[in-house]
Amino acid sequence: MSAETVPPASSPRRVIDARGSWCPGPLMELIAAIREEDVGTELELLSSDEGSRKDVPLWLEKAGQTLVGMTSEGGVDHYLIRKVR
Amino acid sequence: MSDPATPPTMAIVLAAGTSDRLLPFATLVSGAVAMGYEVHVFASYWGLDALRRSRPAEAHPPVSPGHGAEGAALERTLVDRHVPGWRQILGAAKRVGPVHVYACSQSMDVLGLRREHLDDLVDEVVGIATFVDRTRGASATYFV
Repeated sequence: MSAETVPPASSPRRVIDARGSWCPGPLMELIAAIREEDVGTELELLSSDEGSRKDVPLWLEKAGQTLVGMTSEGGVDHYLIRKVR
Repeated sequence: MSDPATPPTMAIVLAAGTSDRLLPFATLVSGAVAMGYEVHVFASYWGLDALRRSRPAEAHPPVSPGHGAEGAALERTLVDRHVPGWRQILGAAKRVGPVHVYACSQSMDVLGLRREHLDDLVDEVVGIATFVDRTRGASATYFV
């Protein structure tokens, strides 16, 4: 798990709070949210689901979106994502 | 997704109507559409019974009999943790990608169901031959 901090937002960042949501809830919430946003938007996904640590990066790669960074603190994972297409 | 021209196909026969089957089923459908599959679901018998419009979408059907205290504990956990109902999860999956839900016409006769008794999640009433034909070439097939 990376210890680096999530870089400051360069543009308004949409936070998706999926803490407590079971697999694949965080991924499904991310997909729904990213579709609504414009290219260039940053999203921060909060998740406490361990399976999402594999699933979210896998989906981002398949979808051609960018995982800017990921940190973990107090049982909550923060995924910083940029919509690039 | 990777190649929208030729999405892989997943075929699922849903015959169970208990939470310990329906939640894993809805989870499977969610993961499949997220990863670019086109999903075809043939709802029969108790799986179709669970799609009755009269059942609240947020409700959790009972766990299969035979799990005793653990089954009862699971039923409580689903409520206490505010786990979405399996039909809510299926509905969210349908908004993410192509999920076709077919009602088995034989089951409708056996259970005395008409189209208006079924949830809007159901797209069509078909016979098994139609389902088999539409899932020809499916790369993944499941029976739940």
